[in-house]
Amino acid sequence: MMPPAFEYYAPTGVDEVIDLLEKYGDDAKILAGGQSLIPLLKSRITAIPYLISLSGIKDLSYITESSNATRIGAMTVDSDLEYSDTIRKRYPILMDALGKLADPLVRNMGTVGGNISHGDPSNDLPAVMLALKATFVARGRGGNRNIKARDFFLDTFTTALEHDEVLTEISIPVWKEHSGGSYVKFEKGTWNFSVAGSAVQLRLENGAVVEAGIAITSMGPKAMYIPEAEDYLLGKKFHKSVISEAADIVVEKSQPSPDTYGSVEYKKNILKRITMEALENAFRRSGGVK
Amino acid sequence: MDLSEKMVTGRGNFVDDINLPGMLHLAFVRSPYPRARIKGITGGITSRDIDMKMASVGEGASAGFEYLEHPVLAKEYVGYVGQPVAAVYSENAYEAEDLVDTVDVDYEPLTAIVDPEKALSADPMYPGLKSNILADRYLGEDFQVDAPVVIEDHFVNHRIATDPIEPRGIVAAYDGKRLTVWISTQSVHTIKQGFCQVMNLSPDAVRVIQTDTGGAFGLKGGFYPEYVVAAWLAMKEGRPVKWIETRSEHLLASRPGRGVVGRMKLYANREGRILGIKGDVIVDSGAFAGGSGEFSSRFIAMQITGPYEINNAHIHALSVLTNKVPQGPYRGAGRPEAAFFMERMVDKLADELHMDPVDVRMINATREPFKSPTGLTVEASKPFLEQAVKAMDYQGHRKKGNFGFGWFVLVPATMPGETARILVEDRGIKVWLGGTAHGQRHDLFVKSILADELGVDPEIVEWQKGDTDQLKEGVGAWGSRSAMMGGSALVEAARKLREQVEKKYGKYSVSKLLDGKWDSYEYFHYDKPYTSLGANLITVSTDRYGRVRVDECISYYDLGKVLNMDNATGQNAGGCAEGIGQTLYEGLMFDDNGQMITSSIADAGVVKATMVPRYRLILHRSESTLPSKAKGLGEAPTIGTPVALSRAIEVATGLRITETPINPEYLISAVQEP
Repeated sequence: MMPPAFEYYAPTGVDEVIDLLEKYGDDAKILAGGQSLIPLLKSRITAIPYLISLSGIKDLSYITESSNATRIGAMTVDSDLEYSDTIRKRYPILMDALGKLADPLVRNMGTVGGNISHGDPSNDLPAVMLALKATFVARGRGGNRNIKARDFFLDTFTTALEHDEVLTEISIPVWKEHSGGSYVKFEKGTWNFSVAGSAVQLRLENGAVVEAGIAITSMGPKAMYIPEAEDYLLGKKFHKSVISEAADIVVEKSQPSPDTYGSVEYKKNILKRITMEALENAFRRSGGVK
Repeated sequence: MDLSEKMVTGRGNFVDDINLPGMLHLAFVRSPYPRARIKGITGGITSRDIDMKMASVGEGASAGFEYLEHPVLAKEYVGYVGQPVAAVYSENAYEAEDLVDTVDVDYEPLTAIVDPEKALSADPMYPGLKSNILADRYLGEDFQVDAPVVIEDHFVNHRIATDPIEPRGIVAAYDGKRLTVWISTQSVHTIKQGFCQVMNLSPDAVRVIQTDTGGAFGLKGGFYPEYVVAAWLAMKEGRPVKWIETRSEHLLASRPGRGVVGRMKLYANREGRILGIKGDVIVDSGAFAGGSGEFSSRFIAMQITGPYEINNAHIHALSVLTNKVPQGPYRGAGRPEAAFFMERMVDKLADELHMDPVDVRMINATREPFKSPTGLTVEASKPFLEQAVKAMDYQGHRKKGNFGFGWFVLVPATMPGETARILVEDRGIKVWLGGTAHGQRHDLFVKSILADELGVDPEIVEWQKGDTDQLKEGVGAWGSRSAMMGGSALVEAARKLREQVEKKYGKYSVSKLLDGKWDSYEYFHYDKPYTSLGANLITVSTDRYGRVRVDECISYYDLGKVLNMDNATGQNAGGCAEGIGQTLYEGLMFDDNGQMITSSIADAGVVKATMVPRYRLILHRSESTLPSKAKGLGEAPTIGTPVALSRAIEVATGLRITETPINPEYLISAVQEP
């Protein structure tokens, strides 16, 4: 449980981070809160000769609200979101996820940007960002670039970030009235990675769905959103048969692998149940359950 | 500061906190294969340097087969994933781990023997063996009964990592004459004995000092290859050597408990009277002798009849070699397995006859002390059961729903007794016990006993960690024995001390005691079993995912005289949590090729604070005849919890429970499709 030797940099500006990323290429990696990367190094699953910490950069930790979006600095720790009034008011779905994201000690260190840019299909925030239709800001040599969450997750541990780009901000749109969401995570034990996670965000008009975001955790090579289920829900009102059918579509599109957490059949069984629960919560929080 | 507070606020002095000048750090190259021939090794400390075997083996079955003794470092063969093959060292712990990759081992992989039942008939693991059976014994006599009801079942308790929060660790130093060892342990004397035997050292040349010990659960009563290598290197280099186990090493290579299969056949009449039991107990012993594997099959078989008056029993006790790390003792160590097999059969009998499970138990309980055909001695269990049922409000729970009841005989490891020493000087009192606490807070009962026996202020009594230079002999803290045996040794030592004061001054007084310097040592010898009874009642609820929530765990135990109530409630809570862990979460799982698929402490299923229920400990008071008047406790909740909880889950889900940990995929099958 001792990592192999590495060189550690903690620059104070994003430009210096980009300099170092360009200089060391694939031998370098950004260290955010370290809650995923440090265990990987300690167990020697990976070796990174140059670690570039973002901890020295002061202006990457913030939560600011405007009328149409909430902007979150990439180095904001998970527990800051957990205790933010803005987040609690605007995104119940995110509160669901934060309360079950690892344990309080990890949340005090782990960052939102790290959770997202690690590209781990078992991390909880990617699916929530997919359901909320968030946009990520990446800063590179040429300036800022907006990447939609839905274009961001490419494969296991692979994202749309270029090697010399830094994720600096997460921008979540404000969902208008009669909207609500829910994230249901099913864990083995407690404070663990999920067997499966399901994120649902809905907006209703007259009780019928006009906009939907649905995404899943630990159910394939990456966090996946399910457009077929989103389309299916459009125009539908809350009914047990509706949420059951939408959940069936989600299950059909999922790609779980068997592992110590369970067989494919078991994981799909769990996914069906948690997706129905997340859908019901989302309808209720949008005012769609009489 | 209170000892618990000190331990959990980073102010303990654990073995990894010891740093000596010039200290070397040790790391191990371990086998990645469950079974392989070693064709060559380049680099590192190997069996060419340390050609030693861990210990002589016990059971006759293994005598004469040198392959069955665990080598300190593997020679021509590896028998499990994680087996130490070579060692490397550096002045820097990080570099020591880097050096692991510099050792080249050329392996020729062989097909592993994984499943203990298949191992019984598989080709022998080692040349010269007739089979993989390490120990083979029948208990009781074969019988034939005319029984209208015959029930059969097959049980598995999977292996469990002991997972103390502090893993194993040692610091060894040598001054040219004497080896001094600081270690996280349950017994400094076992460790000393291990060094003397394996390295052929004279007892005068070894001192073992216990550091603060952050959990042990049976594992740290043993003596392991890594300790020998650390001592050997310290003696060779003349510099201190430290080895600290990583969690990954712990999961792979620290001896786990359980790993037992039961095949049971119960004979009864239609009124629920048990007429006899037959069956096999098969212990998955791992790849070498010298663990607890070869002894525990017989220990389990002996206890099968539990608190019942069963006049016919015939149990085949088998320990079998598999390509896994040798099995070791884990809190309960054979006792939970025996209770699981028997209590699960009794519940099945009750279901078969549509009887209340406690009614069946009452019919088969004994009014008189009883010695079972397998050799278990039980006191009159019926009066205990009657009182337990009343105290736990069994009838009230019957009306409310999902709960389970189970009871058991606790067989503490009383033999051969224990030692204690009291040293009075400078108006303070220091106490050493032969069994060294590893988280149970022996300091609490030590203070209680001396306050009672000597009338002293508990504040001036200081419990001391183990040190072979301070206490010449000792046994160990395991097997529910410390309050009984260590407590009795301390009572006797205190009485001797009182007599010394009386002899000198004519009359005993605390001030006369504290004015002087006194040293009292006692070896309290005891060579008989001393069993007691316990019962658990557990309530559960389930959700739409088939998840089980344990709501309340009630314990009704005969603890004799409770020396310290905080000790008792702490032991009960921790043991119940471990029983819940075994039943629902904890297991070390292997694939068909013998690779462990449990890869982290999270996967290993250790119970967290959010997963534990309300605890209630109700005392059945009947003092023991020992000087301390105590009875056993430590393992009781690990025996009673799995049986009561399994039944509660059976009632809640309608599923028959025969395996621990219970597979969540099985539990969800009881819940209707959404």
